[in-house]
Amino acid sequence: MMIIETCKKYLRKTYTEFATHVYDIPQRMLALLILIIFLTLPYGGIDLLKTLPWLTTANIMAILAVSWDLLVGRTGQMSLGQALFYGSGAYGTALLFTYLGWPLWASIPLSILFGTGLALIIGVPCLRMKGPYLALLTMAFPLSITGFLYYFRDIFYGETGIPPPRAGRLPSLFPYPGRFSLFDKLIADYFLSFALMFISAIIIYKVATSKTGIVFVSILDDELGAKACGINVTKYKLMSFVISGIFGSLSGSLYASLQKSLANPPFFDLLNSVIPIVATILGGIGTIYGPIVGTYIYYTLDKYIFHYVIPLDKNMRLLIYIVVVVIFIIKWPRGIARAIVEKLEDLQEPREIEEIKKENVRPGE
Amino acid sequence: MIMPLLEVENLTKHFGGLIAVNNVCLQVEEGEIVGIIGPNGAGKTTLFNLITGYLKPDSGRIIFKGEDITGLPPNKIANKGLVRTFQIVRPFRHLPTIANILVALQSNRGRKRIEWIKTPERKAMEMLEDVGLSEMMMEPAENLSHGDLKRLEIARAMALEPELILLDEPFGGLNPIETEYMVKSIQRMHLDGHTMVIVEHKLRALMKLVERVIVIHYGEIIAEGTPEEIGKNKKVIEVYLGKGEGGLDARS
Amino acid sequence: MLEQIIIFGTLSGLVFALIALGFTLVYGISGIVNLTHGAFFMLSAYIYGILIRFLPNFISLEFPYLTPVIALILSTLFTGIIGSIFYRLALHPILGDEISILVVSICGCLIFQQLIFLIMGSLQAASFRIPSLIHGIVYIGSVRVLTRTILAAFVSILAFITLTILLEKTKAGNAMKALSQDLEAAMLMGISTERLYIFTTAISACLAGIAGIMFTSTVTESVSVAMWLDCLAYSFAIVIIGGLGSIKGTLLGGLIFGYAQAAANIIIPYAGYLQESFPFIIMILVLIIRPKGLFGKRVEME
Repeated sequence: MMIIETCKKYLRKTYTEFATHVYDIPQRMLALLILIIFLTLPYGGIDLLKTLPWLTTANIMAILAVSWDLLVGRTGQMSLGQALFYGSGAYGTALLFTYLGWPLWASIPLSILFGTGLALIIGVPCLRMKGPYLALLTMAFPLSITGFLYYFRDIFYGETGIPPPRAGRLPSLFPYPGRFSLFDKLIADYFLSFALMFISAIIIYKVATSKTGIVFVSILDDELGAKACGINVTKYKLMSFVISGIFGSLSGSLYASLQKSLANPPFFDLLNSVIPIVATILGGIGTIYGPIVGTYIYYTLDKYIFHYVIPLDKNMRLLIYIVVVVIFIIKWPRGIARAIVEKLEDLQEPREIEEIKKENVRPGE
Repeated sequence: MIMPLLEVENLTKHFGGLIAVNNVCLQVEEGEIVGIIGPNGAGKTTLFNLITGYLKPDSGRIIFKGEDITGLPPNKIANKGLVRTFQIVRPFRHLPTIANILVALQSNRGRKRIEWIKTPERKAMEMLEDVGLSEMMMEPAENLSHGDLKRLEIARAMALEPELILLDEPFGGLNPIETEYMVKSIQRMHLDGHTMVIVEHKLRALMKLVERVIVIHYGEIIAEGTPEEIGKNKKVIEVYLGKGEGGLDARS
Repeated sequence: MLEQIIIFGTLSGLVFALIALGFTLVYGISGIVNLTHGAFFMLSAYIYGILIRFLPNFISLEFPYLTPVIALILSTLFTGIIGSIFYRLALHPILGDEISILVVSICGCLIFQQLIFLIMGSLQAASFRIPSLIHGIVYIGSVRVLTRTILAAFVSILAFITLTILLEKTKAGNAMKALSQDLEAAMLMGISTERLYIFTTAISACLAGIAGIMFTSTVTESVSVAMWLDCLAYSFAIVIIGGLGSIKGTLLGGLIFGYAQAAANIIIPYAGYLQESFPFIIMILVLIIRPKGLFGKRVEME
């Protein structure tokens, strides 16, 4: 029958695609393996109550890290203030919920709009800035917002932050139906956050490998040269800011839905600008997988190893990470994940030039 | 009377107390190939930077194809068909060679005005073939040799299908074989109808190529003429001799 | 009201200028944006605070002013040494990589913050009071000014003068100036960039140290583990107004910032909470209007 024939043909085609595009390539096999691990994690006999929450957090923060990497590692616009987007997304969601009654998950698109608007506003002065001035300016923005939050405490609730819908409620990303047990909610949150992280990573990957992404890298490498090629550098920088802002505020919105206190001033803390930087540097700056892997390394250390294996005081932990980061930057500036990927590239069988020519051209990921 | 492709009127630029370009006037007709020479620091690159929008002149005008382009930013000028190369090669290091060309094809001019046969990648590959770099297509630009990078600069500039190309020391750092290759490439570009202005120190190679030479010293034009005339011009010889560099022919 | 703005503006402006001085010096000479400057500011204040408490056990009470002076000298020197060690270990290996330098120097601040936190033991222990150096009030015209503010301003002027003398008259200072103007030429003349950069960092850490002691003993009268953020906030604002890398610019920038803050305090009521954001607001405003500040060094093409 025709249908069966078409199915068989399709299956055969998929299998060949898989064999040549994934099986032969060690890095992609590794990625597939990791993907499988992540998808089956909640069923692998781990202690759900303790591990899932921070894994969910890690998924969310991975989005923040990827958003930072696009702006800094790929477009070369040094930003020490990713917390600005993060906090705006959180406050956006919280404000919509508190004042307009929007359910948490529905306010996400709008708070993304809010984050984009903010990116445009702060992006404009940032566009003319180079190097140190840009870094200083981006660092200043989130830190200066806290003063306004306190000053206009009628709207923003000041230090305590915007309160959650019901005290004592166990926060979750999505209003799941009542018959979901606690464990069901945790698992659902985990998969939801993972899906969102995966989709975000794919979108940013598509951007990075598109012609626009190529132009981003040209700005990173040589802005003046890009201008000589007729590129409107300002337009592309703004684009990069906006995309970074969109995903940065997405992560803030998501975390606000999870947090016990919805949105509070610490969202704008320098720490939330530094964690994505630390994660990206550990994993590999200028790649898509680098920030993601780095975020997982960070959270595994923070919530698992230094909690259960070698219990350490919070401050001691921070000290260790920072020292580790500094050592990493000095010894392995390209990140662990990247080093592994490059090692795997050596294992790869040499492919025909023809095959390479057929594929779309893209910069080193 | 046919309007010149490029007209520079009374162009002046100071840096603090230093006058880098002093009341320079010049014209370039379509299809010409003009050379600009002068001792180091005479203001040649500054002149290029002024014409291509990287620096704003203190006074004077730059007119390209009848349009006043003074004060426009570099990318707008490139999109109008006036492109330049750089004295020190500046490739996009992290990108593969072919992607370097693709960047230029992403400009407004690249996307709207240039005919691609099938895809921009095809067009980019053609540009690489023209300068003999097709084998290096997927190589990250940072792995290319200096000679290759010089050719990449040219390919990138040509990708915009410009009407006027300003080449800043295209022979810089090239060995004799590479220099010959570059001379041939430039001759081919000229035959294809591109107008070119070349700044160069390697006078022997330059004099073979150009129809007209402009000599700049301390930001001013001190002589203009055919290569033969310039070679015999007393003022010019003094300027070069005075700097201890020997006669014009002794260079390179 | 105008006299208040002028007098407070000038006095506090001088202190702010001192805070930013070390930061601008390092950038002007080596092109490094060393954010660990804030940590040096904080470290020195803590050491001073501790020494102030313990030194009187060892020094007779005949010379009451000896304690603060010795404490100041010791903590400044110690900070200078720590600063140069940190630079040599953590920053020098990655010279040239601007992104990494920014990241590592912020990490430096966090490292020192955590170390102090851990050594002190708890948040309460880590936020103690710093006794002020001198007490008293004078009247300048009709404006009531605390003598310790004048002392701080005076120390700042001394520091500026000393630095200028160092740069103009000493061999090391001249070498530093040479590096800032033309790196290649200086290297060709045989100047060792490594040692000079270390020296520059040491000087700037000492300046940060003096600023830290002056600021905490005369303005805030307390220390906290997040002090380095305040230091960086002021440094950024001043350096952006006056231009990174220019000493004159820092002085002017500090003064302008001082006047602006004095004026804002008087004009906007209840500005207490906005006080924190003030340096940042100024920064943002200035950068929007003039992206390179007033006297910025290292102006690039276009």
